[in-house]
Amino acid sequence: MSEQHFYDKDFNKTINDINDTIDNLYLTEDCYEKNKLLNNLRKQIANITMMMQNNQNYSKNNIEPVTQNDPRVFTPEELSTYTGKNGNPAYVAVNGVVYDMTNVAAWGGATHFGLTPGKDLSGVFASCHDGQPILSTLPVVGVMAP
Amino acid sequence: MKKQINSCPNQTEKLKLVSMLANKAIMAIKNGTIKKRNLVWLELTGCSGNIISLLDAANPGFKNLATQMVNIIFDNSLMVAEGQAAMEKLFAITADDYILVVEGAIASKDNGLYNIIGQFNGQPITAYRAINELGPKASYVIAMGACASDGGISAGRPNPSGSLSVQSILNRKVIKLPGCPCHPDWLTGTLSYILLYGQPELDNKDRPTMFYSTLIHDVCPRRPYFDQGIFAEKLGDKSCMFKIGCRGPVTPVDCPVRKWNQHVNWPIGDDSPCIGCAQFGFPDRMEPFISYNTTREV
Repeated sequence: MSEQHFYDKDFNKTINDINDTIDNLYLTEDCYEKNKLLNNLRKQIANITMMMQNNQNYSKNNIEPVTQNDPRVFTPEELSTYTGKNGNPAYVAVNGVVYDMTNVAAWGGATHFGLTPGKDLSGVFASCHDGQPILSTLPVVGVMAP
Repeated sequence: MKKQINSCPNQTEKLKLVSMLANKAIMAIKNGTIKKRNLVWLELTGCSGNIISLLDAANPGFKNLATQMVNIIFDNSLMVAEGQAAMEKLFAITADDYILVVEGAIASKDNGLYNIIGQFNGQPITAYRAINELGPKASYVIAMGACASDGGISAGRPNPSGSLSVQSILNRKVIKLPGCPCHPDWLTGTLSYILLYGQPELDNKDRPTMFYSTLIHDVCPRRPYFDQGIFAEKLGDKSCMFKIGCRGPVTPVDCPVRKWNQHVNWPIGDDSPCIGCAQFGFPDRMEPFISYNTTREV
């Protein structure tokens, strides 16, 4: 937690510096000054790159591993608790398989084109994404009870 | 390597594209290779935000468009003529060649009586009648903005006026430029292309691919935060706004490169999430625009 906090703080500070530099770039008309600011910008970007490399191993280690041989079985009631709200993961069932949409980009804020998780969305999935190779890219967390 | 990053065509060429097309069209008109086209601009059921957006165009500006590229025959916000004289101009153009730009949806309930755009020979002219008379005869129809493209805010729940998109009314090809509002470049670029070469390449939803082909998320300057799992918790945080409901991952448009207010900034650049205004389904299916207390951090 503290490590992440420190990282975020440092990161945000550098981003603020970069934004300041960019603001100054808009204001300045002097070519020399502009070059100085651009050099600054490069340094700040290099800092960010370094920070990111140092922290690459952090995060993405909290997802429960799922073994294909022993899939977790969900009842509709159980599924309905994974709403993506109040820290809960966002699970969605399609054709009997339960997928974790928590970190799927298209589900920003745990909603997608007016749809919410915790449900079986086979019907709408078929009507919008039929034939698209989407399901194979999603993390599976279990199956629906027969 | 550094040089390659500096000259990334996604950044440089996209921005050059509109002025390049417009200048080419203006030159061709000056040389007599192509002719100016007539332009009819219908403001129907909406907020007039798209014409305001267009007036903010830069390089080329609106003045270049209006004086060197097209003859604006009718635009109720800008034209000098009014009342009967204006409506006469509008309906007289149907005998000639014209490009029709529509902003706003079309109120269809109760014979369209919720949107009267003028009086012609003592008769009220509804948006519904205007689109039905002018739409089929135009050489090109461009639906500008969210409302014209897909109903947008005008057709938002509970849609008391029965507002519909232009395509729902017209049984013909309608080029769609969704956005709330539409970026001036998207219209200027599309018009320039039409003048020079005809219909531009469109995607499966009839949006020009030169503007609507790349997801915001794919070229978002905050993408590294997403990849690293660093998420904003509130408005104003300077990281990825995925957890508070950013619609950049479902909105294919070039805002990150083009930006707004004469290419100065854009929502994400000002720490506010994309609300998907340039995607079909906006606003109802893009809501909630902000979500708190969502999923856990990864």
